[in-house]
Amino acid sequence: MVIYLLSISVVATIYAVMALGLNVMWGTAGLVNLGLVGSAAVGAYTSALVTTRMGLPIPVGLLAGVLAAVLIGALLSLVTTRLKDNYLAIVTLGFAETIRIVASNEIWLTNGTDGISGIPGPLRAVLTPLQFNALYLAIVVCLLGLVYVVCQRILYSPFGRVLHAIRDDDVVVGVAGKNGRVFKVQAFAIGSGIVGLAGGLYAHYTSFIAPDLFVPLITLYVKLSLLLGGVGNNRGAVVGAAIVIVVLESTRFLVPLIPYISPTQGAAMREIILSAGLLIVLRFRLKGLVPEAHDHLTVRPQQNTAGLRPATT
Amino acid sequence: MKRRTFLSGAAGLAVGLALPYLARAQGGPLKLGVLTPLTGAGAQDGPRMLKAMQAVVDEVNKAGGVLGRQIALIVEDDQTNPEAAVRAAQKLVGVDGVPVIMGTWASAVTSAVAPVCWDSKTCLMTVSGADSITQLPHQGYIFRTQPTTTLQATKHAEYIVSTGAKKVAYLAVQTPFAVTMKDIMTAVLEKNGSSIVRGVVYEPAKASYRSEIDSVLAAKPDMIYLNSYSPDLTVLLKDLFRAGYTGGRFTQSYAYNAKTAESLPAEVTDGLVAVQPSSDVDSNAYALLQKRLGVASPDSYEAQATDWVSLTLLAIEKSKKTSGADIRDAVRSISQGSGARVASAVEGLKLLREGKDVNYDGASGNCDFNEKGDIIDCRFRYSLAKGAKFELIKIV
Repeated sequence: MVIYLLSISVVATIYAVMALGLNVMWGTAGLVNLGLVGSAAVGAYTSALVTTRMGLPIPVGLLAGVLAAVLIGALLSLVTTRLKDNYLAIVTLGFAETIRIVASNEIWLTNGTDGISGIPGPLRAVLTPLQFNALYLAIVVCLLGLVYVVCQRILYSPFGRVLHAIRDDDVVVGVAGKNGRVFKVQAFAIGSGIVGLAGGLYAHYTSFIAPDLFVPLITLYVKLSLLLGGVGNNRGAVVGAAIVIVVLESTRFLVPLIPYISPTQGAAMREIILSAGLLIVLRFRLKGLVPEAHDHLTVRPQQNTAGLRPATT
Repeated sequence: MKRRTFLSGAAGLAVGLALPYLARAQGGPLKLGVLTPLTGAGAQDGPRMLKAMQAVVDEVNKAGGVLGRQIALIVEDDQTNPEAAVRAAQKLVGVDGVPVIMGTWASAVTSAVAPVCWDSKTCLMTVSGADSITQLPHQGYIFRTQPTTTLQATKHAEYIVSTGAKKVAYLAVQTPFAVTMKDIMTAVLEKNGSSIVRGVVYEPAKASYRSEIDSVLAAKPDMIYLNSYSPDLTVLLKDLFRAGYTGGRFTQSYAYNAKTAESLPAEVTDGLVAVQPSSDVDSNAYALLQKRLGVASPDSYEAQATDWVSLTLLAIEKSKKTSGADIRDAVRSISQGSGARVASAVEGLKLLREGKDVNYDGASGNCDFNEKGDIIDCRFRYSLAKGAKFELIKIV
């Protein structure tokens, strides 16, 4: 039981990292990205190849994965710089599929659809599975904390305020003398890098990756996390990811309790529960369970009526 | 405040509901894990494999179970997705403590679940075809009843040689085994004076394959090997018909199944040869399977699923222990060797209780495994498409 709880906590934490990455792009800058798994795949494959083929240590692999994801994110953003909303969503969806197809076909590099197995995990050889899961959970939680702090800093920095402004109206940003395009590219690159980190972490956790892993289902789970938690709020992203995994996993135990239901119907029932839950949350809490704060942190709520005065101590 | 109440309420509810489950986990029936695709791309085959396994379990339970205990199948859905499958496998081994997981279907899913299994000393029984699976460092925990790509390609090539075809074209959908199969077939064909004149690997789910077909027909083949899945096979057969090709066509039965056959007119499909790893249709085990499921011709997946459960139960009875490592060590002592040949779990369990040795010959084949966990031999069934029906050519 303990090992199971540890392992789903690891997965939930990795989902939370991805949700934070998405929040930089979508929540903060309003750039819809349905191609998250593409960035995750780039991070995972880069880290896997650097550690298995070149034999470099895992932190180096992860770092290389992040850099590769940053580059691919920036590139994607440059290509899609004129697109918004639904159009951007479709192109990013296509981007993720492109990455998956490249990974399936460039067999010399990625081993094709067979995938890469035997990706090293920290101290996996000397630890028992239970110890390994505990250690890995500690590592991913620390990294989640780090990413969270970075994202909070971004959110409440002048840079983050410009991203918010782009989300609300990018013409106004241009009028105010900011180059919106540069900010969008930066937001995409940072978000993509964070998602790439999550991809790398997943690869080193399960030791196996294949193109079939990086399908839109994962993107949807992450998007769901953010919707449930609250778009634009980093705390919401983490809470949302935890809720999605808890719902996904707890239905395993709940659905079999329903009488006269076959396992096949039960499997369908689990998907229904998840989507119904999302609909209910969106109906009654449109901004998610942890809605985005109305104002900048340094502005006290009671001062709102007096305008946006900075807080004084 | 409201939100906090909701969150803590939800957490409390989850724990509360999990408690009776945890309490129930102690003692009780012997649990075996099933991890089949119930949703996603494999959802056509998963439920049928599950049904076949459940039928064997019901039969054995009625006859007194194994080691005096009843058997319960714990079923999880792998969603035909490696990420979801890993979580499901973690639950099966971590919460239920099953000694065996049966039923993974997609190769990527099997490869992803395999490390979870060998780390927790759990056996994994699968139908996935990719050769790379049994080459993983699995310490003997993987058993595969599906013939490997090497075995399949060799047998298919031998059949094609027997039809007298000299110029073979190879058209394959992108899969882990697409290129490996071509290489092996090339070797076998060339040894027998035939050859592959053109090889094309294509992307799945395209609306037309005219360019691929033009490229293949330019080489003037007298036999085309269509290594496809159902959706693309439908398009390919139509395009080949429109292009006026009249030579031989050869494909896998999982692509040209009853559904595909019904969706296409007879003039498009007539003469197509479909092959599948044959269940051993003359065997007693297969006859028992027909009766158990009440189906006239159970397919290869149902036959293999029957064999996994039977092998597991016999191995448990043989070793008198229920851990994954014990099952792993005992499987070969009941699947092969000089023991009495048995065709069902019930029959074998009875003999084992009497202290006799058994050799299980299953519905999918004789279930003899090599040291890597692959079956050593398998029969193949070749059938000819005629209208929406199939005409048996031969089983070799």
